[in-house]
Amino acid sequence: MLIRCNPLTASSCQDEHRFDLNLGKSGMAANYWASTQRRHWLFTRERLAAIRESFREKDKVAHSQFPLPDQRLLNIYFSQQLNKLGKRMSTRQQALATAQVYIKRYYTKNEIRSTNPYLVLTTAFYLACKMEECPQHIRFVVTEARSLWPGRQILTTTNPFAAAHVPSEFIAPDISKIGECEFSLISEMHSQLIVHHPYRSLSDLQAELTLTSDEVALAWSVINDHYLTDLPLLYPPHVIAIMAIIVAVVFKPSSQTAFHSSPAPIAGAMREGGINIFAALGDKGGAGPPPRIQKLITWLAESEVDIKAVIECTQELVSLYEVWEQYSEKNSKELLGRMIKGKSLDK
Amino acid sequence: MLTGFLRKENLSSRKPAGTGYTSKVRVRDRYHIVGFISSGTYGRVYKAIGKNGQKGEFAIKKFKPDKEGEIIQYTGLSQSAIREMALCSELDHANVVQLAEIILEDKCIFMVFEYTEHDLLQIIHHHTQPQRHPIPASMVRSILFQLLNGLLYLHTNWVLHRDLKPANILVTSSGAIRIGDLGLARLFYKPLNSLFSGDKVVVTIWYRAPELLMGSRHYTPAVDLWAVGCIFAELLSLRPIFKGEEAKMDSKKTVPFQRNQMMKIIDIMGLPNKENWPGIVSMPEFSQLHSLTTSRGPNHFSKSSNLESWYKNCLKTGGYSATSSAGTPGEDGFDLLSRLLEYDPTKRLTAREALEHPYFSNGGPIPANCFDGFEGKYPHRRVTQDDNDIRTGSLSGTKRSGLPDDSLMGRAPKRLKE
Repeated sequence: MLIRCNPLTASSCQDEHRFDLNLGKSGMAANYWASTQRRHWLFTRERLAAIRESFREKDKVAHSQFPLPDQRLLNIYFSQQLNKLGKRMSTRQQALATAQVYIKRYYTKNEIRSTNPYLVLTTAFYLACKMEECPQHIRFVVTEARSLWPGRQILTTTNPFAAAHVPSEFIAPDISKIGECEFSLISEMHSQLIVHHPYRSLSDLQAELTLTSDEVALAWSVINDHYLTDLPLLYPPHVIAIMAIIVAVVFKPSSQTAFHSSPAPIAGAMREGGINIFAALGDKGGAGPPPRIQKLITWLAESEVDIKAVIECTQELVSLYEVWEQYSEKNSKELLGRMIKGKSLDK
Repeated sequence: MLTGFLRKENLSSRKPAGTGYTSKVRVRDRYHIVGFISSGTYGRVYKAIGKNGQKGEFAIKKFKPDKEGEIIQYTGLSQSAIREMALCSELDHANVVQLAEIILEDKCIFMVFEYTEHDLLQIIHHHTQPQRHPIPASMVRSILFQLLNGLLYLHTNWVLHRDLKPANILVTSSGAIRIGDLGLARLFYKPLNSLFSGDKVVVTIWYRAPELLMGSRHYTPAVDLWAVGCIFAELLSLRPIFKGEEAKMDSKKTVPFQRNQMMKIIDIMGLPNKENWPGIVSMPEFSQLHSLTTSRGPNHFSKSSNLESWYKNCLKTGGYSATSSAGTPGEDGFDLLSRLLEYDPTKRLTAREALEHPYFSNGGPIPANCFDGFEGKYPHRRVTQDDNDIRTGSLSGTKRSGLPDDSLMGRAPKRLKE
């Protein structure tokens, strides 16, 4: 094998690590730059769209027969379901975030209509818990998932497909189903299971940007929300973190619960406010914004952060909050249930 | 061998058609198994050569699945297997073992690594046969430099190895050091649970840092540097410097105070105290240490370190001197060793500091090939033929996710193999 580091002298060899230790201005995660996440799991929007289009092309019948909600609405549903599962077992946020990334990665390799999403969700959760050092016993996960998603409930709806099928369950009692799906997940992800999240960049930047605890809390919840979009597959975690900080500092809603229960007003405010802050970025001499925001703008301008990427992230979030209006848990649940039963994906 | 495969295939219950998992890549299509290398509680390691245009030699680590009855079932992978797979996929450094690929097939995991002909345990052992002859000082220096270089890479990437010992330090036939076996390694940034809660016992006892023996819950990369110090000493003296006996866990799985191991350290390093290790008073096992020392009487243990006399004696009996063919690690070597075997983990050298130590900067360039200028030859890794069937080999033991950890079972069997 190749010797990549030729230790002729101590100093020559240490140069090898200078790149790793170059944390950048804001102390970004040292190891993100060489990570498999950056090398293998960052997509362009075009690439992502092409992948999804190829799924549609492959099975047009299934796509017309089993319509599903907008990907973001489906993500809201998945995220809520994962949260419920996580709450039952008092899991940490980071494991849920990792599970959501696993699900996104998996569905870049597999068309959702060829899977049982409840099985994928449960398995991603089980695997993420191990990876994030809060392991749960497989039997416990199966038991909880079964009681959370009994499957039979779907059959009590007025779903025309349901009657034709024998009552069944989304998650089988047999743990081997989860074990087998775990192989599938790991294999599709090429064992690249370490996920870098924006949470770490946020706490790194907290001191540097003297963020208040309210701002951090709000930025944190914005980061939570970005898992409902394609952003984790499109941008590095520090770009997401900076976007979340901007949203938190510029909009500062009185409480984050208000923010969540009614995302639409904030979407409008963000669009306008976002334009203002980015306009101010281009116009550094202007009288412009209050000092608090000015400080952030100055920092952004001096940092080597890709401003364009940050703007795109903000826009993505704005459109998430707009589409959120249409979200219906019941609708997602029914469409998924119909698909699973109709294609016998629970077998 | 091939017939063995086929026969078993018919017997094993392949999943009925449907949504089941089937590997896209098959181990036996890509590798020819040459023989069996070793086994542990995680499974077995085989030597293999590439097939179908794939060149080179490989070591394939097969993780055993849990058996429930006669038929192997999917039972969920152990956390340590998941960690090792994830970390090895992420890491890429000349002094860390190189992963070729991971194949998930027939409910088993096959981690395919580059093959390494030697390891430090085997090299150390070779120098005790038929009589003791020292490992050349220049070779020790190159080994240590490469080891620290790999460790710096791991620590820079927030990875704690946690199980450094001679058997896990692999050496290629061209003298490159590769840190191996990341089965216990963990990421240490912002751990969700304290690092202590995951697995209570870490690191083979002879290489276990004093803060771990004292029950520390917040351990740091410094634990790996203590192990490097122990390995340095062992390369020079050809035997473990702190060869304690492990106190086994009781039936309640509570971790006992490792009295004997702590005494072995104190015998050479002197008693730790508030002056040389201020944090020691808040260590969970501090009272245990206190009762240990009072029970032996006030003068039983030396207050000051005997490391220097241990070192001088080691050089003398080992035949290290400026005029001998082995050369000598000299005063710089002692200074480095004493800073690695520092009681207080906050004062112990980091990997970076160790690499900048005069031991490396003085005395000229360090060869990338640790065998440079060495006349001797080390035996090849022993590969046996009794179990060539990677898919059917009988697997003993239990998986390594739980306690006690297999690395704590001692390494006597490995010694005997030579």
